[in-house]
Amino acid sequence: MNWSLILTSMLPEHLLLVGMLAILGLEIKSGRSRDGFGFAVTFVAAAAVAALWLYATGFHGAPFLHHFSVDPASTLPKAVLLALAVPVLLISRDDFAETPYYTLVLASLYGACLVISSDSFLTLFLGIEIMSLPVYALVLLGLLREQSTEAALKYLVMGGVATATLLMGIAFIYGWSGSLGLASFAGALGSTDPLALAGVALITAALFLKAAVVPFHAWAPDAYEGASAPVTAYMATIIKAGVLLAALRLYGTVPVVAPVVGLIVVLPLVSMAWGNLAALRQVSFRRMIAYSSIAHAGYLFYALLGDGRGRWEAIVFYLVVYGLANVLAFAALPRGADDERHDRLDALKGLYHRRPFAAIMIAFAMLSLAGLPPLPGFAAKFLVFKNVLAAGYTWYAVAGLVASYLGLYFYLRVIQYMFMAEQQPEAARGAPRRMAVLASVLCLVPSVLIMLFPGWLIDRL
Amino acid sequence: MAESTVLNLVLWLPVLGMLALALAPRITDRAVRGFTFGVMLLQLVLTAWLYARFDGAVPGLQFESKVSWIGDWGVNYHIGLDGLNVLLVALTAFLGPLVVAGAFSAITQGVKLFHSMVFFIQFAMLGTFLAQDLFLFYVFWEAMLIPMFLIIGIWGGERRIYATVKFVLYTAFGSILMLAAVIYLVWSQQQATGALSFAFADLGGHPLSLEAQSWLLGAFALSFAIKVPMVPLHTWLPDAHVEAPTAGSVILAGVLLKMGTYGFMKLGFPLFPDATRAFTPALLVLSVVSIVYGACLALVQSDIKKVIAYSSISHLGYVMLGLLSLDLIGIQGAIVQMVSHGLVAGGLFTMVGMIYERCHSRAIADYGGLAKLLPVYSVFFAILTLASIGLPTTSGFTGEFMALLGAFNAFWPQHVAGNSLPLAMAILAVSGVVLGALYMLWLAERLLFGPVKAPHQPFQDLVARERAILVAFVVAIFALGLFPREPLAKTELAARDYQQRVMSTRLPVEVAP
Repeated sequence: MNWSLILTSMLPEHLLLVGMLAILGLEIKSGRSRDGFGFAVTFVAAAAVAALWLYATGFHGAPFLHHFSVDPASTLPKAVLLALAVPVLLISRDDFAETPYYTLVLASLYGACLVISSDSFLTLFLGIEIMSLPVYALVLLGLLREQSTEAALKYLVMGGVATATLLMGIAFIYGWSGSLGLASFAGALGSTDPLALAGVALITAALFLKAAVVPFHAWAPDAYEGASAPVTAYMATIIKAGVLLAALRLYGTVPVVAPVVGLIVVLPLVSMAWGNLAALRQVSFRRMIAYSSIAHAGYLFYALLGDGRGRWEAIVFYLVVYGLANVLAFAALPRGADDERHDRLDALKGLYHRRPFAAIMIAFAMLSLAGLPPLPGFAAKFLVFKNVLAAGYTWYAVAGLVASYLGLYFYLRVIQYMFMAEQQPEAARGAPRRMAVLASVLCLVPSVLIMLFPGWLIDRL
Repeated sequence: MAESTVLNLVLWLPVLGMLALALAPRITDRAVRGFTFGVMLLQLVLTAWLYARFDGAVPGLQFESKVSWIGDWGVNYHIGLDGLNVLLVALTAFLGPLVVAGAFSAITQGVKLFHSMVFFIQFAMLGTFLAQDLFLFYVFWEAMLIPMFLIIGIWGGERRIYATVKFVLYTAFGSILMLAAVIYLVWSQQQATGALSFAFADLGGHPLSLEAQSWLLGAFALSFAIKVPMVPLHTWLPDAHVEAPTAGSVILAGVLLKMGTYGFMKLGFPLFPDATRAFTPALLVLSVVSIVYGACLALVQSDIKKVIAYSSISHLGYVMLGLLSLDLIGIQGAIVQMVSHGLVAGGLFTMVGMIYERCHSRAIADYGGLAKLLPVYSVFFAILTLASIGLPTTSGFTGEFMALLGAFNAFWPQHVAGNSLPLAMAILAVSGVVLGALYMLWLAERLLFGPVKAPHQPFQDLVARERAILVAFVVAIFALGLFPREPLAKTELAARDYQQRVMSTRLPVEVAP
């Protein structure tokens, strides 16, 4: 065993683990629940810096050969994901003081890091499970609401189905190729063997389920609504990103050919259209974001149609922009008691008159999610559809763009409520929390920079 | 100071203004108005200086700046003045201070946000005209939606939400298909030349089959035709105009509608010349239907704003007619008509706003005999009415006459050669002039003459600020009507270039067997 290689190449993971143990250790020592906020933020930020450092030095290494490897293509997404987790943690301040929240988030992030670096189905599966399991508990930590239990249970059952499907798919691929390496999935993509194709379909379906792509999306609105705001933000950004990065890991740079193309086109396309249409009817902010995230999962999987390099660029760029916009929206969202009443979209009415900066930031996030230029979401969407078209799928790109158009109105409606409606008398009027303000600034500044200089980020992908 | 720096300053001044407004936390409404007006005035002065220095005898771009923006995609921040956009940039800068001054007393709620949005839209409009890179153009083009959405939605009338959502959804639908066409065009360019570029100059070169050209023109044309708007895609316009605050209507009629015709002139027609010629008959018919149908609809409206809104549809039909004639006089007439309509409709909407502020009604039936009640107002209204009709010595005459003359010039030989449809369309278009006289004179008659009638009497005639605004409009209208030589000289080379490009072909050369 090359201990120094394991130490350096897995530095982000180690930092997460140490953070987790430190919080647990403190709790055991003092014999009661402790607020792990400080530790969690410090260690996640440190892990993000470590991943960035590995990326900047162009680190290559495989501490566990054929199972786990580290290269710039994995350290950059890792850094992005961990960096996005920092504002999510900042929003959680005060909500989870007496709960194991921070330990669970750190564990889930650890799983996401495993996914990003995985080279075999074994690590991939472990990573996905470590990433998802804590989230079932996180949804329950909303606690204040009756729906939380139902939401967590639904999420757990659907997650279990996804796990079973994933395992079945892995078994098929293993049976076909005799190897647990992720490369065998790429090989199966081009094969005509029904066994291999069934494996591809099952694994892809499992990812669709985890990322909430229609028709495997039904759990998402309930889970998003049932969970508390920070957990919703976590699910909508980090978990979604983790699943997409898993898909990227699996599909690699191999172009998709028929019949797999059908799978990658139809369901994501339906997902965009349905997510965008269903979002129109929502009266709850979190349910709306859930449907929005269903549509965005569609765009992200659509990007797999592109060629190898462009695919990677498009998905990572999209995840950065989408994650920032989503977390920004939740960070700027005024929070009262986290009950049903304040989750109504109506609660946003007249927000501009009460809290102009919060309203402007939410508007920024919504327009970015809608993909309206000049906001960064436009460049992200442009990159996805440019790659789809460049791969020769002209009409699929047109269909995708039209499906994305359907989503414009419900994002605008949020702005309409905030700027053009009268205030609701019973709306929450608490002062903005310091940590949430910090989180929104942490999301807004990079978003604005990406808006002004998208080339800077794209050149680095 | 180099001219290109000044041009950049003209473009970015509104952004600086917006930032200044955002960073000044406690500032009185009065100060916000004064500051915005000052910045707009400075922008106008700088633009006037550039306009004076713009040399019509030099082909291509002037005061150009080009910086790599998204290196990987070959996207540049590339702006410059040419004969096609110089007048429109001048028009936009000219309307800026007038819009702000016109809103001095009308906007009392959310003053800071309003002026930020006026800055924002000014920036986006100038950017759209100045952009010489398709990606940049598209970003500015779409960015116009955001401030307009808020301007109509926050400070509009009763049904403002409906109107603004309709406006955005209509325009965005056109844009999304245009985006697909943009990506396809750039991609096919990359296939042909190997290099990724969004520069306008690079996109006209590679061969495209007639089928591809037709699809692409269709996508671009849909987006542009919605903005113009051409019948049958015009239904958003009356709602948007009626519900918008005065400033919004002036911006919309003055500049935003020209985006559509400018798009056709700069991109749609020259980029896809073969498809343009193939579809000229259909486009001609739509233009003339817009002229006549718009005029007929204007005739039967009971709301002053709606009359002017529908008249816009009619007047912009002449622009399309001139552009499609491919005759030099017609093309130049189209450009003059764009500016003229911006001034005339802008002025008329400002005047409707002034009377609305006093009486809170836009119904024609509520008014009568204003000539006795508000003599100064009535004089200005009469002048603008005549300019809208296209009386000689006003800018409206120059534009419409040249567009029609160009159309007859071009279509008579075609008629002799056996193709009579274009000529028939040109003849029908003339009827629009008559209808235009009818609805405008009738409107003026009902408002200004007859028994004195108004919802709130007595009220004050125009104050000095309002007179100054209207004097500016009237002077500009007569200047363009009486001395069109200078602006025409500045646009001539660009118009010739447009003519040549639409008459050329970019079909793939067939290899001889």
